Amino acid sequence: MQTDHNLPLLVKDLSFRYQRRPAPSISGISMEVKPGELVLIAGVSGCGKTTLMRCINGLAPRVYQGDISGEVRIFGKSVQDMSMTELSQRVGTLLQDPERQIVSSHVFNEVAFGLENLAVPRQRIIYRVNETLEYLNIEHLCERQTFHLSGGEKQKVALAGVLVMQPKVLLLDEPLASLDPASAAEALAIFRKLADDGISVIIVEHRVEDVLAIKPDKVLFMDAGQVIYQGDAGGLYDSVDISKVKLPARAVLRRAQKASTQPFKAALPPADGQELVRFEQVEFRYQPDSPPVLKEIDFSICKGDVIAILGPNGAGKTTLVKHALGLLKPTRGTVLIEGKPTHSLTVAEAASTVGYVFQSPTQMLFAPTVQAELEFGPKNLKHSTEQIEKDVGWALESVHMNGERKTPPLALSFGQQKRVSIAAILAMRSRILMMDEPTAGQDYWNYISFMDSILQMPGFDAILFITHDVDLALIYANRVLLLKDGTVAAYGSPENVLADENLLHSTRLRPTSLLRLNLELLPRTGRFMRAEALVDYVSSNHQVTEV
Amino acid sequence: MLVSFQYRPRKSVIERFDPRARWIASFALLFSIVLFWDVRLLAVFFVIAMAQVFLARITWKETHRAWILLIILSTIMIVVNTIITGSGTIAGVVGSGKPVFHFEIKIPLVGWEIRYALTRERLWFALAQYLRVFSIGALFLVIPFTMDPRIYGVTFRGIGLPDKLAFTMDLAFRFIPTLARDYQVTVDAQRARGFELEKTEGGLFAQIRRVAPLIVPVTMNSILAGEDIANAMDLRCFGLKKRTWVEALKYQWPDYLLIGAGGLILIICLILRFGLNFGNFWFPT
Amino acid sequence: MMKKSLWAFGTREVVFSAIGAALYAVLSYGTNMLQIAGSGNVSFRPAVAIPMFFGLAFGPIVGFLTGAIGNTLSDFLSGYGFYGWWGLGNGLMGLVPGLIHQTITNFRGAADIIKSEVMVVVGAFVGMAVASLSELWVSGVDFATTVTINFMPAFISNIVNGLILVPILMVAYSAIVARSGR
Repeated sequence: MQTDHNLPLLVKDLSFRYQRRPAPSISGISMEVKPGELVLIAGVSGCGKTTLMRCINGLAPRVYQGDISGEVRIFGKSVQDMSMTELSQRVGTLLQDPERQIVSSHVFNEVAFGLENLAVPRQRIIYRVNETLEYLNIEHLCERQTFHLSGGEKQKVALAGVLVMQPKVLLLDEPLASLDPASAAEALAIFRKLADDGISVIIVEHRVEDVLAIKPDKVLFMDAGQVIYQGDAGGLYDSVDISKVKLPARAVLRRAQKASTQPFKAALPPADGQELVRFEQVEFRYQPDSPPVLKEIDFSICKGDVIAILGPNGAGKTTLVKHALGLLKPTRGTVLIEGKPTHSLTVAEAASTVGYVFQSPTQMLFAPTVQAELEFGPKNLKHSTEQIEKDVGWALESVHMNGERKTPPLALSFGQQKRVSIAAILAMRSRILMMDEPTAGQDYWNYISFMDSILQMPGFDAILFITHDVDLALIYANRVLLLKDGTVAAYGSPENVLADENLLHSTRLRPTSLLRLNLELLPRTGRFMRAEALVDYVSSNHQVTEV
Repeated sequence: MLVSFQYRPRKSVIERFDPRARWIASFALLFSIVLFWDVRLLAVFFVIAMAQVFLARITWKETHRAWILLIILSTIMIVVNTIITGSGTIAGVVGSGKPVFHFEIKIPLVGWEIRYALTRERLWFALAQYLRVFSIGALFLVIPFTMDPRIYGVTFRGIGLPDKLAFTMDLAFRFIPTLARDYQVTVDAQRARGFELEKTEGGLFAQIRRVAPLIVPVTMNSILAGEDIANAMDLRCFGLKKRTWVEALKYQWPDYLLIGAGGLILIICLILRFGLNFGNFWFPT
Repeated sequence: MMKKSLWAFGTREVVFSAIGAALYAVLSYGTNMLQIAGSGNVSFRPAVAIPMFFGLAFGPIVGFLTGAIGNTLSDFLSGYGFYGWWGLGNGLMGLVPGLIHQTITNFRGAADIIKSEVMVVVGAFVGMAVASLSELWVSGVDFATTVTINFMPAFISNIVNGLILVPILMVAYSAIVARSGR
């Protein structure tokens, strides 16, 4: 094949089955990518996108053994015939979590790592590292420690470590997953620039709406190991399941069917103004002489509240939540839990009112069975045996995991682990549920159904969650707390807080298409809602602007 | 949890030497010290080791914990050894000699007789032990304070360890702050579930088992992360050929001097000890 | 899958040695509950289960490096200096259990756990014996002293911690080992 040699990537009828699995994870995949093309591969977790990437970068079947059939060619040469040395200078891969890609304690060494392994002469390495840092506009990070970088900076450094090897094909595995909206926008701009400079960029991402903003040349939609759709972005809107990937709000609106929307209703008690937690003039410093992390915080969590806490990294979101839990005590001011100041409460005492679910469930799961995991909290709180048995059963029922009582929590899928970590709080009968980034690590389809089910769970008086996702706050919260530099920048209904575009920008948030559409329709709806639900408010004569 | 390495730039003379030269010279001194039991010679080494501590510009505030620990541990060992159980590894110190202090006890019922005499020889031997322990302790105490963790890998590569082993050091350094943070998150997560760290009920075994909720999540999480990190390294060609180290170390003339001095001291000591049979246990008569 | 040599040292081994060592250092620092007076450079640390477990899970080299580098880093973190012979002893404590790495088929099976526990005891014995005997050479104490002062406290505290915590880690690991596609 003559033309092959100019084609950065050609995949033909590719199938792969992992050695330990009975069925192939991907089958019959064909695609080609031209120089400078930007390709988006979308799909839910388990659709086979990670396996496809492993077949392209050579990890499958080199490291992940299994049966491979079909062809993957890089500039006409089969990936299986290439050495890893050769392949790594053609195909670069950015893994999902930059934290798990970075291998050096300092930025300069991190970027140099690949060239060091290729035994490039030292002077040449220094030159190329500096060149790459300059290209990405991160020369100023050169001498920094990787540990202290922000999420967005970490990702740029990890990307530099890949680009320094001068790949012609770049694979990006869910590159937006851990970024705040402003960093995500920056990252996307970089990916566009890379493609414009001639690199073939392949982005695997379920945040389809965000990637569409940089106009991919081609979009693939994968489901159950196969390519369902391949073509331009416009065609995608008509061919995918709108509940599975996140499309622009107007596209959803066009697709959503009137009859199918059922109004979503949270199971929380009606708001009656009863205060559960109150912050009074709270100030917090880690050391007496260090700058305050929180200052002049005044707000209350009341019965029936669903509060979204938004704000840039380092604004004090986690510190704030730790105060509500008694894990940290204010340096000045008071935090009251049901009228009692946290200064006089132990964390264990506070835990019977407030339950906190950390970002990653693996940070807390340790027991040999789900049942034992759920008993841990109530046992610490000295609940009676009968009570524990009853509550654990109820908690399992509430998260629909009754069948997994004897399963080791560590053997469950990520989504199930997330449910177990919620159940662990339920079993303690905590009345307020607090969650740090509840949607992190889950794709759109999973996190929407996850959030729906939590809000419909009985037993909580109030729910509070930290997030970067404006849409999540917009859909689920009835109060939004915007933190900035340790102070409350705004606290109120989402309709009020999120309408201020300047405020959003100053806290590294960006208005989304759903927010804009909601604001446009607000005079008619009276409150924010998800895209599917807006259908009812778009009258036939109201023209929804084309996407 | 806050963990930080003790290293910070101190503008000391010690830091100007190449770390490889410092390791080599330190080991030469270590092997020299353990040849001798003569307090006069050991005193020389003690002075050298302490001089390094002062030149390194380490403060008492930074090191007092280490010193106190060293004093307590060595005192227990030496007191138990010299004063109670008997001699040391050096023959000839046992039993004989002029007693400074002695007593006899007859234990009732069993009728065992304990006869004990603390001699001047034993006291001088104890002094030699202290000098050895403190010289060696001080010799290496400066390392964490004056060597940049960033260049440990290339240092060990330079001393002759293989690439992969040397890089393991670097990688371990990279993980320390991350794992310390993860551990703190897990501690917080379990406390939020009513787990009380300080609680000391139950026996020793129950106490140990109580650590499980803290160490299991961190350990398993890091193993899961390890799979991804290994992938990331394979994708960037780790271990395929002899690698370049971008952190470069270069010997300067003072380094050759330091290595030379270390080597010379070791040779002289070997000659003294085995050629001239000098440096055995000594005490003033 | 191709059978790897027990002594293979590839990327995976480098990564798990580094993670193990960092974990051992951090957890020694974090869970150091009580010091047993007069136990050489040893204190009562539940974290000793880490090198033992890493040996069992990833082989003798990973076990050795976890113990040796981890102990050294832990001393560096506390600013205690460098005690190479205790590093060696801690390394052996991880290496010895690692010798049966390839014979373990089920990390939650009673037979494999018992086998591992035996190796934990043997490893702690060998490792602490080597470290303690070097005290003869360094500080010149006699054999009886090093046995009572250095060896026994270290050996006993390490096997108590190891015997209790290693099986807990093995059971937890059995749940994730199946998830790895490697």
